[in-house]
Amino acid sequence: MNDQEILEGIGEVARRHLGFTGELRPGQRLAEDLELDSLKMLTLAVEVENRFRICLDPSSEARIATVGDLAAEVGRQLERRSDDAP
Amino acid sequence: MSGDLTTLPELLERAAGHGDAGLRFVDGAESAGWFPWPLVRERALDGCGRLQARGVSPGDRVALVLPTSIEFFDAFFGVLLAGAVPVPLYPPVRLGRLDEYAARTARMLELVRATVVVTDRRVRRLLGPAVAAARPRLGCVVLDELADSDPHPAPGAPQDLALVQFSSGTTVDPKPVALSHRAVVAQTLRLKAYWPQPEGRTVDSGASWLPLYHDMGLIGCVLPALEHPGTLTLIPPELFIARPALWLQTISRHRATISPAPNFAYGLCLDKIRDEELDGVDLSCWRIALNGAEPVAPRVLRGFCERFARWGFSSAAMTPVYGLSEAALAVTFSDVAAPFQARRFDREQLARAGRAVDAADGVELVALGRPLPDFALAIVDDAGAELAPGQVGHLLVRGPSLMDGYLDQPEATAGVLRDGWLDTGDLGFLHDGQLYLTGRAKDVLILRGRNHSPHEVEDAVDSVAGARAGCAVAVSWLPEGDSGERLLLLVEARRDVPGSDYPRIARECAGAVRAAAGLDPDHVEVLVPGTLPRTSSGKLRRAETLRRWLAGELDPPAAVTPLRVLAAAARSRLAFARMRLDSDERS
Repeated sequence: MNDQEILEGIGEVARRHLGFTGELRPGQRLAEDLELDSLKMLTLAVEVENRFRICLDPSSEARIATVGDLAAEVGRQLERRSDDAP
Repeated sequence: MSGDLTTLPELLERAAGHGDAGLRFVDGAESAGWFPWPLVRERALDGCGRLQARGVSPGDRVALVLPTSIEFFDAFFGVLLAGAVPVPLYPPVRLGRLDEYAARTARMLELVRATVVVTDRRVRRLLGPAVAAARPRLGCVVLDELADSDPHPAPGAPQDLALVQFSSGTTVDPKPVALSHRAVVAQTLRLKAYWPQPEGRTVDSGASWLPLYHDMGLIGCVLPALEHPGTLTLIPPELFIARPALWLQTISRHRATISPAPNFAYGLCLDKIRDEELDGVDLSCWRIALNGAEPVAPRVLRGFCERFARWGFSSAAMTPVYGLSEAALAVTFSDVAAPFQARRFDREQLARAGRAVDAADGVELVALGRPLPDFALAIVDDAGAELAPGQVGHLLVRGPSLMDGYLDQPEATAGVLRDGWLDTGDLGFLHDGQLYLTGRAKDVLILRGRNHSPHEVEDAVDSVAGARAGCAVAVSWLPEGDSGERLLLLVEARRDVPGSDYPRIARECAGAVRAAAGLDPDHVEVLVPGTLPRTSSGKLRRAETLRRWLAGELDPPAAVTPLRVLAAAARSRLAFARMRLDSDERS
């Protein structure tokens, strides 16, 4: 899955579960630009896990402030999953 | 007023005869959910049945942790119909400080001895630690997951407890304010008298973004709409904070005649709304813009009236008011049909002698109006003797909507309620029959023998470039072994300001305080936004700020990221799971 596909998948989650309209851009900040509060942030995280069938690691030190950061973290987890695959 | 003898369920019953009025909810996409009063009651009866089947009995205290939504009202009115007592608490939607949220919520659940917590699926994901600490007997529930069952409404009496709301105590821990049906209905009737009367067939409407766990939102907006009955359009508070223009757009679109907010909201509109966001907006319908719940700044009122006149806002609409949770809400109203009044008083006379003397170059204070019908005010000295008009003292109020007391706290109640008078904890004076406030008794800055209001100092830094408006705290403290009180000023920077700018902001803040208040701060510190502790309604907590600063515990909030919330949700699941294990072991 390439970066563009990941970004589109996150956009789909945001539209379906958070009522967003339009496209997401990597530079958009989750709290400030997308106006996500704690509950919406949680919805996004859980639904992104479901959509990509990954587990985001809460103990990771990755700093996720923007849509792009989230996409990169999803990419890392997808890679890890394919590494683990037999 | 003879109508005082009724209860909230009776008001709901009456409103259910009016299908042309009700509650409307606006969300981010501005689509609106519409619930006429008959439907609100029908849903409440359903909620009542489910709660009763769960075991809720008359008199039980039921905590509601719900965002602004129809689900809040299903639970609120459902609890009332069951003869139980709703206790609205704030949901964890603010970013950051989730641990602090859990501790405070647990404390509030314990203080009211909540029988059960009603929430929704999303909020429940974060409530585990609070619920596990407080252990409500009937657990933490979502209404539509409870078994459907026939409701058996249990009508209460006017003297019964109607609801508990937490005072947003800025100086102390929040206290549970116990209000009877008699008090709440008395307040509602007096507020409703200010809803403009219907013209022709139009149903008057209000609009509010105020949180429903706060007196101004619940008692100030919802209950007058219920009694009228009129239509109230509700905006989730977190949406207003993110997009203030939505408030004005909603007033315009739904032709709201009345909409209240605290002073900071008017300031936020001034700072954040861009002209192009108001294309097509017409505010001429907005006849009463109540402004209360925190100190009213003349600069903000004037700025708001001037800026938004272009979109039809009438300066006569701006109506400063005064009230407090312990009086159910409002105590004084200024003239709703006239522009607000402000006067200048001699700074030196106020600070040294506690006397209000007109002075052209003095400190400007906004008149908060006269008591509501059947309310009375008294200004007294430290010994309780009544003072003459123009003298600053403790403000006491009397009236038909005072609280029964702080719930289960007789000592704290005796400290503020004496012989039918409520000590508000505020300092002020009367001038031409109008109330003016000078500060909170517990927050007064005592510097070199003079009393200063912290607002005077805090408001001065609003004009400094890079300082976050309304986010400064001034406190005085006596360092150990020192002979005189020191003035400490803590200021949050704006989000877009780099740390390298902080020293410049500190210097300019000190200068602004010298110029405006004639005081020299001993220490000025510029902080990352979100560092200062606030109450649930967003007011700054001065005493707590000083305590943390002295203890070196004044830390910025951790940025909330998807990973951090996932961690919080995992802790919450674990807490719920442990609770279930424990109760399985016990049974």
